[in-house]
Amino acid sequence: MYNEFFEHAEKVGLNPLKIAVSSVEELFRLPQEVLLDFKYGIIKESFTYHYESNNYYHNACVEKGVTPDSIQSFADLVKIPLIPINLHKSNDSHKLLTVGLNSIELEMRSTGTSGIPSVSRRCSPTVDGAVLSIYAMYREFFKISNGAGLYLCPSTEEIPEMGMIKALNMLAGLLDTHRFMVKQEQFVPEDAVKQLNEWQNNFTRHIIGPPFLINRFIRFLKASNTKIKLDKRSYIITLGGWKRFTGEILSREEFNQECIEYLGVEPHQIRDIYALVESNVMAVDDEFGEKHATPFMHFSVRDPKKLDREVEPGEVGQLAIFDPISRSTPGFILTEDLVRLLPGDSQSGRSGQRMQYVMRLPESTEFGCCAVNLDKRLDEQDENASDETCPVVA
Amino acid sequence: MYNDLIVEHFTSPSYVGDIDTPDLEYELGNSVCGDRIRIHVKTTDGFITDIAFRAWGCATSVATADIFCNSVKGQSLEDINKRESQNIASMLGELEPSQYHCLDILKELHSSLLSEIMEGEFDG
Repeated sequence: MYNEFFEHAEKVGLNPLKIAVSSVEELFRLPQEVLLDFKYGIIKESFTYHYESNNYYHNACVEKGVTPDSIQSFADLVKIPLIPINLHKSNDSHKLLTVGLNSIELEMRSTGTSGIPSVSRRCSPTVDGAVLSIYAMYREFFKISNGAGLYLCPSTEEIPEMGMIKALNMLAGLLDTHRFMVKQEQFVPEDAVKQLNEWQNNFTRHIIGPPFLINRFIRFLKASNTKIKLDKRSYIITLGGWKRFTGEILSREEFNQECIEYLGVEPHQIRDIYALVESNVMAVDDEFGEKHATPFMHFSVRDPKKLDREVEPGEVGQLAIFDPISRSTPGFILTEDLVRLLPGDSQSGRSGQRMQYVMRLPESTEFGCCAVNLDKRLDEQDENASDETCPVVA
Repeated sequence: MYNDLIVEHFTSPSYVGDIDTPDLEYELGNSVCGDRIRIHVKTTDGFITDIAFRAWGCATSVATADIFCNSVKGQSLEDINKRESQNIASMLGELEPSQYHCLDILKELHSSLLSEIMEGEFDG
């Protein structure tokens, strides 16, 4: 079926991948087996493209005895050689490029606890796909087209290449107004409360940012005994790690409870997003708190002790991502994240894969994104801060 | 987006690596989210006899580290000290606005090299 679609689209001069990326809502409504067949087609095409155009990846495939002919069905996707995510941090990450450096339009990065940035390089077709895909996922899960966004993070002007901020900032384009509340590594929670009050009864107010900075804001609200009642259609949108620089893991359940108590929202208004700067994938919470993967990408959950084996849905394993949007580097990535795929049908009726993030691989020395470093900086500042800047006791 | 010099030094760097017993080692970087560059240097009689780097960051910063190493290897510290700001600025060729921060990196690579030497932290 996919081949017919692909051939027809190309015959009339259309890009099948771009059609897929623009059809997120429709893909979520396809029967599961049709969606799998569709994903198989675009992932195989992507594998063939990188196999034929990327010397480094081609050699790695040859070494493992895998060629495009080895991939004959959906079940064969597990054979596709994966790129460990830490290769994006290596000194010679240029070898990952399938296109020349001059075709790269955008470099984005993320920095975790090691301080070594993971840099991903995107060519124009990849940026096209990523932008369409991200907006399609935002529209599918949030249906936001107006309102005000209180961004508890720095602006893209301060850190223009940071993937997490870039993705969140794209959401701002759908809003009427927004404000970044972290400036020069300073966050003044009183200003955030004041801004929310100014927007009250003028805009639907959304709070957007990494979990730890929203948690930091809630700690202030708690300490100052302040309770806010956001609006009926407000969202608390989080993106970024749930593990602090101290190693403490923030409990999602506790976070939700505190959002309900101090920000006056319902559970369905609290939405977390899983994303990686090295991939164009997103997994977004629906109204039931189930995280849906971008429907034209594929999550393959592996046994960490035997990486060529997939675990059953419901079992915890190491996440591998097949991202057919990525044209600048092979989008077949072995992450350091432990997740489980949710078995059965989704409560919202959407097709495709749903995942639950469990934790970073225990062996991983790296965790977090730029948020974890900001959290650390803000904590250091709290220790020295006067009462007028932040009365929160960590 | 990338000039030929940046493309060449990013895709075919000549000085990536480590020196086993460097006379001087220094690192530049932004602790929150920026580029990181580590330099190892060997000197003899006031000359840079060997140099190597490891860099993590954008393509232009990786190329900057390689261009810097290439420009100082075999040079005397005295001559490096005489380099003028505008000459250093021209070493990277024409840059896009988003790449200008690498000029600061290049200047810092020079100034850190010289200041470490001035502080007499190693016997040059």
